[in-house]
Amino acid sequence: MSGAVAQSGGFAARLPGGGLIAALMAVVLWEVVARLTVQSFFIAAPSAILAHMVDHAGLLWRAFTVTLWAAVRGFVWGNLAGVLMALLVVLVPRAERLVSTLALLVFCLPLVATGPILRVLYGPGEGPQVTLAALAVYYTTFLPVLVGLRAAPQGWFDLVRSYGRGRMVALREVRLPAALPYLVAGLQIAAPAAFLGAMVGEFTGAERGLGVLTVRALRALDLPATWSIAVIASAVSVLAFAAVGWAGRRLDLAPPQVLLASPVETRQSRWRGPGEALLALVVTLTLWKGAMELFALPRFFAKRPEDVWAYMVSGPGAEAHRAELLGAMAETLAFTAPGYLAGLALGAGLAIALTLAPRAAALTMPVAIALRSIPIVATAPLIVWALGRGAAGTIAVVAVMIFFPTLVACLHGLARTPRAVLDLFEVYAAGRWRRMLGAQLPAMLPAFFASARMAIPAAILAVTTAEWLATGRGVGALMATVASTSDYGMLWSAIALIGLVAVFVHGLVGALERWVLSRTNAEQMAR
Amino acid sequence: MPEAQRPDIRLTGVSKSFGGPAGEIPAVAPLDLRLAGGSMTALVGPSGCGKSTLLRLIAGLERPSTGEIRIGEETPDDLRKRAALSVAFQDAALLPWRTVAGNVALGRSLARRPRDAGAVSELIDLVGLSGFEARRPAELSGGMRQRAAIARAMASAPELLLLDEPFGALDELTRDRLNAELPALWEAHGATSVLVTHSVAEAVRLADRILVLSPRPARIAADITVELPRPRDGVVLASEAFRETCGQVSAALRDGQPPDRLAAQ
Repeated sequence: MSGAVAQSGGFAARLPGGGLIAALMAVVLWEVVARLTVQSFFIAAPSAILAHMVDHAGLLWRAFTVTLWAAVRGFVWGNLAGVLMALLVVLVPRAERLVSTLALLVFCLPLVATGPILRVLYGPGEGPQVTLAALAVYYTTFLPVLVGLRAAPQGWFDLVRSYGRGRMVALREVRLPAALPYLVAGLQIAAPAAFLGAMVGEFTGAERGLGVLTVRALRALDLPATWSIAVIASAVSVLAFAAVGWAGRRLDLAPPQVLLASPVETRQSRWRGPGEALLALVVTLTLWKGAMELFALPRFFAKRPEDVWAYMVSGPGAEAHRAELLGAMAETLAFTAPGYLAGLALGAGLAIALTLAPRAAALTMPVAIALRSIPIVATAPLIVWALGRGAAGTIAVVAVMIFFPTLVACLHGLARTPRAVLDLFEVYAAGRWRRMLGAQLPAMLPAFFASARMAIPAAILAVTTAEWLATGRGVGALMATVASTSDYGMLWSAIALIGLVAVFVHGLVGALERWVLSRTNAEQMAR
Repeated sequence: MPEAQRPDIRLTGVSKSFGGPAGEIPAVAPLDLRLAGGSMTALVGPSGCGKSTLLRLIAGLERPSTGEIRIGEETPDDLRKRAALSVAFQDAALLPWRTVAGNVALGRSLARRPRDAGAVSELIDLVGLSGFEARRPAELSGGMRQRAAIARAMASAPELLLLDEPFGALDELTRDRLNAELPALWEAHGATSVLVTHSVAEAVRLADRILVLSPRPARIAADITVELPRPRDGVVLASEAFRETCGQVSAALRDGQPPDRLAAQ
């Protein structure tokens, strides 16, 4: 999944006129570079990739159709869940904080760990792939649909009320049609994400599919095979992204105005925030335990909250478990934080640079949108091979994962600077730097923070996958190891710790966002 | 006469204030008011004086902070529940995904009236939007949108028609045409109408009675009955009586201003 911040430009995303020629030139360049660096064992030449694809066409095709079918089912279920959750929040506004927190928490669960657990749960078959594909998409649909359901101006609701009609009519006549463009934007991001989710699901002991071939190719250090799969996954993602965009255009929908609204800060007592956090924790633990007891899942692999507590705190060997997990976590965080910050900074920085040079932006935007849909995680092993198993490789994977969505979101935010404000700066012949600082940067901030929040699960996915598939370090590798040795106490502890860290960081970014926006974009905070 | 069948609107001690960060801000001072059934009352006042708030109170879209509003025996909520009132909103509030015809038809369907394509196209014709039935709001000018909104408000044949500056974005020519044509239509419906406007001439031309409101919080600064004969055609508009009434309303508007603003003028 390459992030969650959609953009209206996606509806009209097309390669520029010379795109075909540019693509051809890129392929030629790629071939040349690959042949020059053939000893470094990193880049497979397009000719080698093509040869591999032709030689293994039957195998790749069968694997592709298996993965695609799992992805399609996950896409449907995940998006259905996302839409239903958004409807629930709109119809029962009190549930918002709880639903949002739980949704975020589940979205932050590392696929690397949930994969093996789902594998045990479902047994052989395609259950885990479909579930992981659904888990990879529901959140990025939930958020924009929720925004869309609320995006209608008050006057439209007054209209419905003035005829004495209630919330259901408002939902049917106003909210649902208003949310439709947002749904399309969400589905557009979901399409490549579902494919990636299905692939990750296949990493964990599936019999067939592109994910299985990836793991096999990686183990064998089969460069052309790895590249072939990465190319196929990328092509599918770009095509799926474009196809949903095309369908959206066919529906003749107005592009959405704002995609991710800032968190709404209503006046509330200082205890409400912590109170709701506590409630979310209690509900999470209850659901966790309740689901396991309800389905009578074996304690061997389905660890209850108290099992994790015993494993990490009160039980025998807890100290050693703690030291191992926290050590791995510290190592992971040391790689994630710089990658996260670098990805955000590069994305926002390039967006600003491109806006200062608008002609370059017109060329770059479609390319960035296309690249954004490439499953970076599928290419993670390649990046790690190129940059090594040390800090640089992992940091680069995280940064690349975050870079594209941030770039697209920030460009979109910058482009949404009100025309009248720009005219005002024009009237006073302000230079482009003045204009950037005074008008465009404040307009960009909400989009930037929205993508900073959405980048957290993306960073977790990137780092754990890279550690698992390539570097063999940190919490991602730890989870992979304990999953293969059936040390489910450690696996569940790792999941719980990652969830806690993710929600904590999310809250931290949200607090920073409110602090900054209340000083720069006061009107964004009101509703 | 349909007028006789329409109940009066009675406001008893009605006030409205809004809570803000700096405490309660009064928008409408306690008002006692009786608007005759079947009549057309214009609310005139400076910008932000609370006239739109008063209209929203009568529509039941806002709750009064004190006092009560009755239309005959009914509350505004009762009226809304049986879809007997409609509002033409200042910003038109057209749904962008519906065509002009779709938006006007929405006025019927929201009011639970059966589909009637003939009635819809008649209304569209009346507000001068023939040929634009299939257009979306985004393709219309501001004035055309307001005309569509008026057609929608009339589509449910309401007993109470509330017009919140419905001609605000219209050019002078179109405004003049609608001012000339619409009274005939709502007289036929016999609806009790309340019109918010800041145009003195429009108020005098359309209304039976003009309430001049003071700046916030809204109080009745003047209550002027318009004695001009109907239909108010070119002859009436050119008459001395028309100019006199306009002068009377303008004077009341000026008198309603706080002294410092008067001095500035």
